Amino acid sequence: MSHAIDLAQVQKTYKGGLFGSRVHALRGVDLKVGEGEIFGLLGPNGAGKSTLVKIMMTVIRPSSCSGTVLGKKVGDKATLARIGYLPEHHRFPEYLTSRQMVEHFGALSGVSKKDRRRRSMELLETVGMKDWADAKIGSYSKGMRQRVGIAQALINDPKLVVLDEPTDGVDPTGRRDIREILTRLKDEGRTVFLNSHLLSELEMVCDRVAIMVKGLVRTHGTIDELTTDQRHYTITVSESDKDRALSGAKDVFGDAAELVPGRAGVVRIDTAQADRVQPVIDKLRGAGVVIHAVTPFRPSLEDLFMQVVQDGAGGETPGAAKGGRS
Amino acid sequence: MILSQTKAIFVDAYRELNAKKMFWITMALNVLAVVLFASLGINERGVSFLHWTIESPMNTARFSEELFYKVQFTTWGIPFWLSWITAILALISTASIVPDLVSSGIIEPVLSKPMGRIRLFLTKYLTGLLFVGFQVFVFSLGCVLVIGIRGGAWEPKLLLAVPIVLMFFSYLFAMCALFGLLTRSTIAALLLTLLFWFMVWIVNTGDSVILSQREGSIVQLEDRREDVEKQERFARARIEQLQEEGKPIPGDADRPLPEGIDDPLVVMNPALTASRNRLAEGEESVEMWEAWYGRVFALKTILPKTQETIGLTERWLITQEEITELLGFGNEMNEGRPQDEDAPAFADPRVSERVATIMRERSLLWILGTSFGYEFVILGLCCVVFVRRDF
Repeated sequence: MSHAIDLAQVQKTYKGGLFGSRVHALRGVDLKVGEGEIFGLLGPNGAGKSTLVKIMMTVIRPSSCSGTVLGKKVGDKATLARIGYLPEHHRFPEYLTSRQMVEHFGALSGVSKKDRRRRSMELLETVGMKDWADAKIGSYSKGMRQRVGIAQALINDPKLVVLDEPTDGVDPTGRRDIREILTRLKDEGRTVFLNSHLLSELEMVCDRVAIMVKGLVRTHGTIDELTTDQRHYTITVSESDKDRALSGAKDVFGDAAELVPGRAGVVRIDTAQADRVQPVIDKLRGAGVVIHAVTPFRPSLEDLFMQVVQDGAGGETPGAAKGGRS
Repeated sequence: MILSQTKAIFVDAYRELNAKKMFWITMALNVLAVVLFASLGINERGVSFLHWTIESPMNTARFSEELFYKVQFTTWGIPFWLSWITAILALISTASIVPDLVSSGIIEPVLSKPMGRIRLFLTKYLTGLLFVGFQVFVFSLGCVLVIGIRGGAWEPKLLLAVPIVLMFFSYLFAMCALFGLLTRSTIAALLLTLLFWFMVWIVNTGDSVILSQREGSIVQLEDRREDVEKQERFARARIEQLQEEGKPIPGDADRPLPEGIDDPLVVMNPALTASRNRLAEGEESVEMWEAWYGRVFALKTILPKTQETIGLTERWLITQEEITELLGFGNEMNEGRPQDEDAPAFADPRVSERVATIMRERSLLWILGTSFGYEFVILGLCCVVFVRRDF
């Protein structure tokens, strides 16, 4: 798989403070994003997500960095013509209409006048802002500004779209619309790099995610890969049958079966595979245990995120492991 | 791509200024100034304003209408209107260009476009200059039309005021851009630029005052030297007269010099001592003012020459013959006025003439070369800061 983004050892240190103290915003980030995928970057505030994005977009100069974006060295200005970018906390000129703003950034990206005219209206229609195309941005709500910001990011027909908090301030309908746009971008073969706090949003659209904590990528991979360790099944039986149910489960899974503390009659089996649960069900039914429910459990991205953040808050291990936690 | 990017930045700058209304307010004020200029006139009785006439020696009997308008244009149109009012309005209008560019939320999408930071910054800088250039062009063109229609002389060279005022403004705007870049605040950039302008004005004023003092002391020294020579000649003549008459002269054996005096001329003319002392004081004074002038001149050489740059308009737009005509008028006006004996040396009309000559003879290379050098350094500094900054 070729990579739209291939970063290695990205570091950023800010000097400042009264005594020239140093703040390590990025401590050596390695990250690969495949072409044509939707990639989500997660992390708590101050993790370094926006710094990483800004380095890719040449807004911030890295202290050290090797790697490529769209096959060119990070910082190559010409490559930016093939990238669309929506920054976090953007403030597009309020004296412009959305059509003027989108066309202005199209011109800065080197899009021809004819294409700017055509694409700006198409994109404004795509993001649901066609009727507001000639109204000043100053009169827009936050959600509307976010929508025209996305149109701006797409005016140059980019191969890579980098969106920093694209659903910030957008209502649920708007979020759904943005998800649809992202899916469409992927279908068109574009790579989408998302930076967001809204884990449920990312979970719905991202092919792969990475979680950053304290300037390091702590884990990255597909959501399935990242949650495999925590996936399990629970079997719910009557309180009176719980000992028989646990015994039956242990016969098949040994120590991988246990009672869930605080939940009456619930036995947990550490496996993600449904076919491996069947012998336990057969055994319990054969023993006359009444099974109330068999429930597969897959942790949410939020569960994973919280765990990684809590783990990462303690130690600081440089580098990142592919498809699992470092 | 470069053209479309540059055009986009210029169009955006126009839209921004248009949105702030300052573009049109400044334009309206410039048009008003042209209308006022057109309302002024000169007739056989004096200066007219609309249908009123103020009786004045400045009338068509002494002045051509053409010269009257050109003098108004170069004495208040450029030095007052364009150099102060329009420049201040332009600074107020354009001071926000750089702070707005580098403000958070605006700079990120711009920097993420395929355009170098230096080109981006310099293009933004040029948008500010273009704003001023357009305003000055409108005013100057209006004045050319007024002088052509009312004065009967078509002088397109008055449009030279456009590049001259633009050069003058560019010195200030470079500082404004640097302050805006460093502070990210429009108000701070504006106030610091005005402070810088005031500082340059102080240096310019100091230069004029010290130059006048130096020239005054030189003129005074020459007068005193002449006075001493005159008195020495008188004393020598007296000695020669004594010799011819066969009488002893001071210093002879028959007539020794009085104690404490070693010059027979002083014996013959006791006032010579005081004159020589004044001459020595004058030499010290010249030496002192030379030293001060050297320091101020060195400081001024480093700084942009705002006053001299604006002064180029007079140099280029008014001919030597017209200056002679004006000086003749000035002398006529001063004739009959009592001379003030206690007036300082620099009040001597010869001093003003010498100062005017020195000012006029300051080379174009010194005026523009060093000013552009300063601007180049400031813009270079801006580029370094802008390129190295993380946003």
